[in-house]
Amino acid sequence: MRHNRRFSMEQKKARWGWIFVAPSLVFFVVFSFYPIFNAIYMSFFKKNLLSLRPPEFVGWGNYRYLFHSKTFWQSVSNTAIFTMGTFIPLVVFSLMLAVFIISRTKFQKSLQMTLYSPAALSSVVAALIWLLIFDPRGLANQALNILMRTSGVNYHWLSSSSMLRLSTIIVYFWKYVGYFTVVFVAGIGGIPDYLHEAALIDGANSWQDFWHITFPLLKPTTLLVSVMVMLQCLKTFSTQYLFSTSGAPTRPIDVITLSIYNTAIKDHNIGRASAMSVLLFLVMLILTWLQLKIARTEDVTYN
Amino acid sequence: MNATELRTSLPGKLVNILIWLFLAVACVFVVTPLLFMFSASFMPAIDIMKLPYPWVSDHIHWQNYWNALRGPDGSFIFLRNTLNSLIVALAVTVTTVILSSLSGYGLAKFRFKGRNAVFMLIMATMMIPFETIMIPLYMVTMKMGLQDSYAGLILPFLTNAFGVFLMRQFLLTFPDEVLDAARIDGASEPRIFTHIVLPNSGPAIATLAILTFRSQWDNLLWPLLVVQSDEMKTIPLYITRFMAETHSDEGIMMAVAAMASLPMFILFFTMSKYFISTEGLHSTIKG
Repeated sequence: MRHNRRFSMEQKKARWGWIFVAPSLVFFVVFSFYPIFNAIYMSFFKKNLLSLRPPEFVGWGNYRYLFHSKTFWQSVSNTAIFTMGTFIPLVVFSLMLAVFIISRTKFQKSLQMTLYSPAALSSVVAALIWLLIFDPRGLANQALNILMRTSGVNYHWLSSSSMLRLSTIIVYFWKYVGYFTVVFVAGIGGIPDYLHEAALIDGANSWQDFWHITFPLLKPTTLLVSVMVMLQCLKTFSTQYLFSTSGAPTRPIDVITLSIYNTAIKDHNIGRASAMSVLLFLVMLILTWLQLKIARTEDVTYN
Repeated sequence: MNATELRTSLPGKLVNILIWLFLAVACVFVVTPLLFMFSASFMPAIDIMKLPYPWVSDHIHWQNYWNALRGPDGSFIFLRNTLNSLIVALAVTVTTVILSSLSGYGLAKFRFKGRNAVFMLIMATMMIPFETIMIPLYMVTMKMGLQDSYAGLILPFLTNAFGVFLMRQFLLTFPDEVLDAARIDGASEPRIFTHIVLPNSGPAIATLAILTFRSQWDNLLWPLLVVQSDEMKTIPLYITRFMAETHSDEGIMMAVAAMASLPMFILFFTMSKYFISTEGLHSTIKG
């Protein structure tokens, strides 16, 4: 009798478990799994956004087209340049800033707050501010002229292709350097004090302490943050979209998401846009898998 | 680190000064554009384009804010668009908090067949970035006739895997004895959830709410796809349109930027501990 009642209690609890989980589960099936399978499916079809004609099966046609398309490879290389150009300085500088902030006895909190503040801004606003700074008469030219000891030189921040790419990288770096500094500070904060104390008792100076204690223990965090930044950079859209709609040349900053958007909305080519989405998805899938693998194998417990 | 050693030796002093210098330069780099935004928002356009940039104008040019509110055609559409942004961001925040804590609670505190599979399935959606599914979502939204509506703006973001993960991790540590005691007292499961679990999940909910609100306030790509009329635009869309139309008055542009970022700055300075919440960010990394 008692056993029976307990059994039914367990069953009742199991039912409630399902009831609590069900709404989210339905949501994820409808708004995540269905669309990704739909994107894969549509990538084998030719479909115009506006026409009512049923999609026409083209096999690998969309992918073949993309592999031979100069514009597609241009956007792949734009994305690669942006991602590499952003993520290396972001990781290096935020790690340095975090280590320096931790080494301070005063102002730790206010330094973090100050550096973080641009992350509170929306990316559209960030792009808007920097558009004015990169104006030929704007602050960027004035600052660079002082630094380079030139006068009145226009560095074409928004018109020469390499400078334009650099400009989008600067905007992104500016917005996120504080954010990742805070992430690193959290990571360093997770290293117990006794490890540093032990090192100092053994006669290590603070440089040796950083190099032999902090840095190795920070390696997993650094790797994870790197993948996080990379994933985020691959999805960059707002800055490039805003710069290109306000008159900057699109070609050098035509990153993959912008290209997907334009292919679907301006060229109405759903099949081709889907194929691009699927390729982006595969790249990001590999990176996420890498992230999970690092998270699992390098999980340090400090003991 | 060994601060005393750093401060006493001469090379230590030098290193110390260099570190402060580096931090100061970083802060100046980060803060200058923000100061520029506020300073330029109070200046007439001619002053902003003076060489070198004057930083403070002779008189405060409040008209920029008035003109930004009024809009280029005097329709005050900015207010409507701000309202849209607030409605969408708040709605998404509320549904995300409710759905994530519901399923996080279910996954953390109930044993049922297939629980791990469900958890893995939800976590797997983290690998599906929005950018790769926006086209199918857009087609579905069009088919359902939801383009240009609040429902269309809100529906794809009702909850997210990170939210479920965050709430589950938080609720795993929730004491079972408290829940069992309530059950013995005869409380129903929904009541336990609303009266015991939710009120005691404050910090996790605050972190999740702020992250969700911010990402919606910032959302450009999806509204760009679904919104067609000026009335349904959100602030990011308003700004893009504003830039395409009045590419002239820099002062008004910066006033728009300042007003658009005001809600986020208020949130940031009042709730900074949830922005810079180490635990929340930590679980992001581990996720």
